[in-house]
Formats: sequence, structure tokens, C-alpha cells
Amino acid sequence: MSQARSPNCPECDGRLNAHGDETVCGECGLVVAEDRIDRGPEWRSFADDDTNPERTGAPLTRSRHDRGLSTEIGRSTRLKGRKRRQMARLRRQHNRARISSKRERNQVYAFTEIRRLVSRLSLPEQVRDHACSLVRSAQNEDLVRGRSLEGFAAASVYAACRVAGVSRTVDEVTDVARADANEQQAAYDALNRELGLPVGPIDPVEYIPRFASKLDVDASVERRARTFAEEARKAGITTGRNPSGVAAACLYTAARGTDCQLTQRETADVAGVTPVTLRNTYTDLQNQ
Amino acid sequence: MDRQARRTVSREYFSQERLAEHHFRSFNNFMERGMQEVVAEKETIETDIGDKEGEEPVYVELGDVRVVTPRVREADGSEELLYPQEARLRNITYSAPVFMEMSIIRGGEEEEEVVVDSAETKVGRMPIMVGSSKCNIAGFSDEELVEIGEDPVDPGGYFIVNGSERVLMTSEDLAPNKILAEYDTKYGDEIQVAKTFSQRRGYRALVLCERNREGILEVSFPSVSGSVNFVTLVRALGLESDEEIVHRVSDDPEIVKFMLENLEMAEVQTQEEAIEKLGKRVASGQGKNYQLKRANYVIDRYLLPHLHEEGVEEEEVRSNKAFYLCRMAEACFELALGRRDSDDKDHYANKRLKVSGDLMKDLFRTALNKLARDVKYQLERANMRNRNLTVNTVVRSDVLTERLEHPIATGNWVGGRSGVSQLVDRTDYMGVLSHLRRLRSPLSRSQPHFEARDLHATQWGRICPSETPEGPNCGLVKNFAQAMELSQNIEDEQALKRELASMGVEGIPGLEGVEPQPADD
Repeated sequence: MSQARSPNCPECDGRLNAHGDETVCGECGLVVAEDRIDRGPEWRSFADDDTNPERTGAPLTRSRHDRGLSTEIGRSTRLKGRKRRQMARLRRQHNRARISSKRERNQVYAFTEIRRLVSRLSLPEQVRDHACSLVRSAQNEDLVRGRSLEGFAAASVYAACRVAGVSRTVDEVTDVARADANEQQAAYDALNRELGLPVGPIDPVEYIPRFASKLDVDASVERRARTFAEEARKAGITTGRNPSGVAAACLYTAARGTDCQLTQRETADVAGVTPVTLRNTYTDLQNQ
Repeated sequence: MDRQARRTVSREYFSQERLAEHHFRSFNNFMERGMQEVVAEKETIETDIGDKEGEEPVYVELGDVRVVTPRVREADGSEELLYPQEARLRNITYSAPVFMEMSIIRGGEEEEEVVVDSAETKVGRMPIMVGSSKCNIAGFSDEELVEIGEDPVDPGGYFIVNGSERVLMTSEDLAPNKILAEYDTKYGDEIQVAKTFSQRRGYRALVLCERNREGILEVSFPSVSGSVNFVTLVRALGLESDEEIVHRVSDDPEIVKFMLENLEMAEVQTQEEAIEKLGKRVASGQGKNYQLKRANYVIDRYLLPHLHEEGVEEEEVRSNKAFYLCRMAEACFELALGRRDSDDKDHYANKRLKVSGDLMKDLFRTALNKLARDVKYQLERANMRNRNLTVNTVVRSDVLTERLEHPIATGNWVGGRSGVSQLVDRTDYMGVLSHLRRLRSPLSRSQPHFEARDLHATQWGRICPSETPEGPNCGLVKNFAQAMELSQNIEDEQALKRELASMGVEGIPGLEGVEPQPADD
């Protein structure tokens, strides 16, 4: 743990002595720090242990513009006067020099936005990394020019979700994004067209657990809904239909037989479709 | 009491709920009031928007904070209730979402203030103590506990972070906001010192009042290097005349004699002079106006911060600070004259225990500050790129979560203390019980500190006289006695003061409408 510490005791301002594994105040005996060895798990993955002998530093990450290899000039209370002001100037210049081009600046902004979206939607880390590399590729292909950065951030999060099989609806992403629906759509179209995203039609099953927990229904209803969705896919009902509508219809159908009744309206609202959409799939499911 | 009755009482104290009761009370208290207090202290998040010409300033107002019970968000997006056993088995954190009301407000310069957006948003996740009132198993019967895979006799009182059970060590600190008089040596001479750890809202300042070998009083406090003459400081606080100063310190003729020596040596005579003098100390080499400004700022900010209070005039606070300094001076003189002994630091009246709730409050305060800085940054970025400012798009919820979980997982607390959280000792059942009721003194274990390790008479009934480790930690790590009751800090300070005023205590600032009543004997 590298932390900038004041050289004096935080309580009585006494002199600190470091001996053994402890840093102790000479005046009052307060233990300021002890055990400098970090016994926690290693930061990096050592999958490439044979080829790469390095064992220090944070892991490289695709979700930072500099891949996590930044340097920061810290602060210290030990420096006074001229030296301190000099360090402040150095720090400012260093921060300015960290981002060298417009392109990198855009990347920083897009990545911050992606991180915010991912934390907001509680998505796993792989999705974040994938979304970031999508933005990077989009920049390499020169897709960003003329389209909005926020749109690309939102679209790549949406795309990464779909690729990872943890689909979110477009509306769910748009709700929390800084981009509006048009910007996001434009960016997603560009991504899909130019980069050839490996995405097929969405399986309604991906939506069922989320809608089920929003509607607060039993696990048994959810399970039945899954089998309905599976059957519907086999029977070809899902083709050409809005997958969230199908998922909602399956849940609605599954809940009908049980004692936790759902109305068409509330189920459709959760899925972000109209009750009519739901009804269409519902009648098809009934005919099965 | 006969033997049977004693046994019943004893059983009651060893019943399940009481074993980690101090942890529950402290943590519940933090959940119910502490968090809201911290948010209320913060109040607003200011931004740099509006520094430019023709731009209206923007700030964020923080409102009510709400914590639900622990739940887990799965990768597929569904959210379900989380029970402790599942958190242990899946190596996840037993934490609950925290929601906060935020309003973005623009204007105030030329236009009127308008609320741009107002919403309750999820700001992060708070680790929840197993068994506390926010825990999902609170109020479950034994059968229900077994049903969800929980041990019915488990005492609770710990957190689960990334699947490992962590207990926050109760720490034993010197009581803040109390005058402690003691002897010290400086350049080979014995001097008398009165100390106060003044504490308010997580800020701690040590104020020292020393009587040096010439008998002159000097005060030192943070942000002033070295020390300031006592009389100068008191005059700067508005206590001007010689008579008043002497009267405020003591009426004892011997002490008055000491005080007169001090007044003879006084460097300044009026309040203005005193503030000027102080300004030269705190901002030497700067312009005169800045010196005055800085001196006033230092007095109001760093000197005895615990005397500040909501709804009390600045003027009144200053005179209270002057009186407090006079009390410290009196303590020094009385010590010098042998009228009193030096205060015993190991006396339990001079100790305060920091239990899990207090520790979490410190943590939440710094986490909220970090979140505020992030919100400020996000707002400025969004504004620069001409986006609509909405609450939902400026809060990054992982900032707060990270700041709360990391210290509990590693034990590296804010303020540079390490080892605050420990892995619950599951060697056997008694090990758990003992671990939950353990407390630690922050003193070094490699220094002798014989007095601190000794069993003190005031530990009777509070601390177990025999349970302490052998070796370097002997006497520094202690365990609660069986029937120990830990009292909490007063909830409503105003009510306490009103009560005191109604009992005849005079001179409590910020209280109106209480008629001083004559004491009836």
C-alpha cells in the first residue's frame, strides 16, 4: 500500500519511529502503521507466467485509455514553500500531458461514461472491457466522427451486453445514458454495420429472470415461463416478434395458472411493450 | 439476591441477543441516524460551473438517504434478496443498496434558482452487519434460520465482504473534548500541560495549553506552528480587559498572582492588536488584509472545533472558546500549585470506545466526500458537453461501494489505521464469542506502557480482569465483562442542554425560552 503519510503522529504530532514491522509515535505510542507486507491476493493474473516473469504493477486493462499504466504525482505535507509550489506546477503539467491527442481525450470521456453505465446497470467487468474495446475499434475504423461520443458509449455497452448474452433492452440503456435514443441508435447501427457484431436475434429467455424479479413472481412461475419460451422458439412463434414482448407473454401465461395473477398491463409495462404486443404472443402460446 | 436469581440474571446476559448487542446497537444507530447526519453535514455539492461569464452556477442538494435490506444483482439483471449463507458460499458481499435524494439546482446569480432535476437514485452499496435490523434474517425464528441454511446460535455482529466474515475491532480511545492536565518535561524542566482532543464531525484537533518554566501560558493548536501566547489568543477571541481574563481563570489568590505575571508580559492590549499579531503568525509575509482574514479563519476553523454548534452565533462560540481556554489555564495552574493531581489517562472515565457503528460512520463520511467529488466532475463534464443535467446520469454508484468495501475487506481504515477489521475467529464457538467482544488499545505493543497494560480499578464490571493474551499484546487487547453495558452517545444534544438549563446550569449558548429556575432545596 503506497500512501502518502504525514511524518508526524496524527494524534499528538509527535515524531514517528519505524522499527520492525511497526511505525510508532515516539510521544504517545500510537501505532500508525504496521505490517507493511501486503498479504492480499495478487493483483495480476499469472496466466502467462511462463513467458512473462514480471510480478509487479496493476493488471493491464482495456478499460483505460492508457491501459492502466498511468503515473500520478502525489501530494505530501513534508514539502513546504517553493518546493511545494514547484510540485504543484509539475503535477498540473503532468496531468495535461497525460492526454496527448484529441482522440485520447475522447477515449477518456467515452470510457468514463461506459464505467458509469456499467456500474449503474450492475453489469459484470467483462462487459465493461468489451464495451471499451468496441469504442476503441470504432475509433480505429473512424466511425465516431460526426456521431456522438455518448451515443457510442451507450451503444457499445448495449452491444457488449448482447454479445455476452446478458441482454438489456435498448430502453433500459437509454434511460441511464447521457445520449438520447437517436444518438444511441445511430452509433449502434454504425457499430453493427462496420464491425460486424456477432449478435443474432435475442433469445427471450435472457429477459425472463429480470422481468420476473421486477414483477416479483415465484421461482416456479419463472421456471414455467422459461419452458414456454423454449417451446415458443421451437414452434417458431418468436421469429419476427419483439423478444421482450415474447418474454412478457411467457411470464404472463405462466402466472395465469398459479395464484399470483399478473395483469397484462403491468407485465407489458415492465417489458416496455404495449399490452397488444403481449396479447398477440399470448394467443399464439394458447394455440400451442 | 439468592443464588437462583443470580443465575437467572446471568443466563439472561449470556443469552444470544446480548452477546453482540453492543455491535447491533451501534450499527443500527448508524443506519437509522448516523448516515443521515453525515449526509446532512455535507448538505450540498458545489461545482465550478458558473465561473465563466454568463453562466449560472449549479449545485446539488443532498436529501434523505435510505438503505434497504441486502440483495444481489445477478448478471442476467434480476435482483433478489440475499441471505448471509449465500453470500459466504458464493464469495460475494452481504450489502444493501443505498438510495439518496438529490436535486440539481441551477441559478442564484442573475436568474432565480430552479430545480433542474430531482430524483432518488442509487448511490452505492453498504455492507450490512449480520443480525442487525437491516439484515434479512432479523426476526427469524430458529426453524426459519435453519431453513435458509443459517446457524441459529450464530451471534452475528460481523460483516461479510467477498465471502469472508470480518469483524470490526472495538477500539479504545482517549475521550475527546475533555481537559486532561498532566506534567511534561521541556528542556529538562518540569512544566504543566492541559490537553484537549477537540473533535467535531470527524475532524480532530489537539489543543495544548502549556505553562512554561517562566510561568507564561502558551497555547498550540493545528495550523499554527509553535505556540501562541495565551493572553494574545484570549484577547483575539474577544476577552479584552485584564480583570475579565483573571476573573474567568480563577478567583484563587495564588492563581490570580500567576495570571498577573502573564498579563504583565502580554504582547497586546486589544482584540484588534491580538488578531493582527495572530495574523502575522499564521500568514507571515502576506498582505495585511489577507493576514487578518486568515487569522479569523484559523480561529473559527482550527481552534477547539467541538465548541461549534448548529444555530449558535459565531460571536458566542468565540467567547465560549475563550472560556474554555481559561478552564485549561486554570487546570495548568492548579497542577502547578499542587491543588490537584495530574489526570489518569487509564481511568475508564477518560476512555471512549469506538464500536462498529462509529467506525462505519467515519468510513461513510470519506466515501461520501469521494462520491461528491466524482459527481462534481461528472456534472462539469456533462455541462461542458452541453448535455442535460440529470441526477441519474451523474452518479457513479461504484465509487461509494468501493470506498466502503475495501477498508472492511483489508482492515486499512481511513486515517491510516490498519487491522481495524479482522477475519472472524471460527476456531470454535467460544472463539467467535470472545472475538466479537474484544477491544483493542491503539498503543504500540513493542513499547512497555506498563500503566496502560495494568488492570485499572475502574475496569471493574466492564472489562474481564483475566482474559487478555500473553506476550506483546498483554493488557492492550482486552475483552468485555459478561454483564457489560455499553452506553451510547446522546441522541439529541439540544434536549440534554435544555434539561441541564432547566436544572439551573447557566450560560449554555443557543438556548432560548428556558427560564433559569431557582434551585429549591
